Amino acid sequence: MRVSRLVIVLSLLGSPLARGEPLQHEFLLFTSAEAVGTFDRAAPLTQLPDESLKADLLFTLQYGSFKLFGEYLLSDHEADLERFQFGWQLSENTIAWLGRYHQPSSVWNHEHHHGQYLSTAITRPAIEEWEDGGGEIGEGVLPQHFTGMLIENSRSVLSGWSLRTAFGAGETPVITPRGMEPFDLLHPSPAHGELGFQARAALYPSEFSETGAGVLLAYDDLNAVSWPANAALKFDRVDLALYGVFGTYAATSWKVLGTVYYAKANMHAASPGMDHYFVVGYVQAERQLQHEVTAFARLEESSDAAQSRYLRLYPTFARARYVTGVRWDFAHRQALTLQGTDSRTLSGHFKDIRLQWSAALF
Amino acid sequence: MRRALFVCLLLCLSVTGDAGSQTVVLVVGAGSHVRDLEPIAIRKLFLGLPVFVEGAQLHPLRNRSDPQLEPIFFQQIVAMSEEAYDRQILIGVNRQGRLRPPEVTDRKRLLELLYSDPNAVSFVWLRDVAHDPRIRVIRVLWDE
Repeated sequence: MRVSRLVIVLSLLGSPLARGEPLQHEFLLFTSAEAVGTFDRAAPLTQLPDESLKADLLFTLQYGSFKLFGEYLLSDHEADLERFQFGWQLSENTIAWLGRYHQPSSVWNHEHHHGQYLSTAITRPAIEEWEDGGGEIGEGVLPQHFTGMLIENSRSVLSGWSLRTAFGAGETPVITPRGMEPFDLLHPSPAHGELGFQARAALYPSEFSETGAGVLLAYDDLNAVSWPANAALKFDRVDLALYGVFGTYAATSWKVLGTVYYAKANMHAASPGMDHYFVVGYVQAERQLQHEVTAFARLEESSDAAQSRYLRLYPTFARARYVTGVRWDFAHRQALTLQGTDSRTLSGHFKDIRLQWSAALF
Repeated sequence: MRRALFVCLLLCLSVTGDAGSQTVVLVVGAGSHVRDLEPIAIRKLFLGLPVFVEGAQLHPLRNRSDPQLEPIFFQQIVAMSEEAYDRQILIGVNRQGRLRPPEVTDRKRLLELLYSDPNAVSFVWLRDVAHDPRIRVIRVLWDE
């Protein structure tokens, strides 16, 4: 109900500014099917169901400088309105959004969102995993879905270089015994998060360049909701500060990308606790071979993860992970990917091998 | 000014002879307020990025009425391979819900859209519009 009211009000506000413009629309469907086998298990909890089917629907309605943009993910274990944003194109370089968005301080998620076909590897780095799995094993440790405002800008600087920035401010997810829960637009709950801030700034040698580097910042207060009083880890709020750097080098047949995060978590239990730090980073290399085949490898490492009180909430978080695989784009907008992974979680280790078909339809 | 003279010269030659039969031009409707677009703006436009002229957002129309225009589109307008272009378009939809430039496969339909939409921009063979007073050539994109 709140969503429809918002759409009506914003449409009325926008209509005078879009007079004479046609109503345009866009629709895109990403699909994937995946089979996973785990072995060499030495962890009480490994990861993931044996198979998964996903359909990720993207839709846009645009009226002049205004647009309504949504992403709905339907899988055999999840159905969620991932993004729902009302956007105002303020200029060629700037767009402002209101609604539920993916936070901009994850460059991986900004680039791929849920579009599996656009990702060379089957899995994302553990630190970039989505947080809204409802307690599912292997879910993310950083908040990713916020409801509020997001502003994205791209401008020319330093004679031809491009500075791309994004700033978000919105309601944070809350921490529950079932995992992190972001605000759900379709089923709004009375549990409230605090206000969180995220930012990304990156410099690229040209407007169209994929090669570039930048910095990431985020500060989020995560309230604990319905946290059991007899839990081993007692807290009522986590103050999470995140600082990161990232870079991408893209050549004709090579691509290397990497990110390092420095996270500071303070778990409050009636009064502020001690700050705890951990560092997580990953680097992925991709090499295009002949016959539409791409080989890739990714190294994920961390420091002080095992000592972090905050990460104790997520015993299946991979503190280290080694990923290798090949992707074959065998038909127009269709790919097959084979990937092997060696994961060292906070509670053990395991290996898995996966096969995935992914596609972009319509 | 020099560019305008060059475009006029091409138009004059096309009236008197066969020049323009192998020339691809950027066009708008005669009522459009678009006077010129730089190559970088043209590239952005056909990649689905927003391009504004006098406060109005331009509407790209990808002309797919002639297969011979395809390599010129990829080489001269968006400057990337067909696969890379397709990927960039998908990325634009995925990241910001950008609209894909509409593809028009019928030349008459393309011209009708240009006549009726002052913010529409497309590309055509010069020979197809040289005598059309309702179409304005704003830039030569490719000439054999």
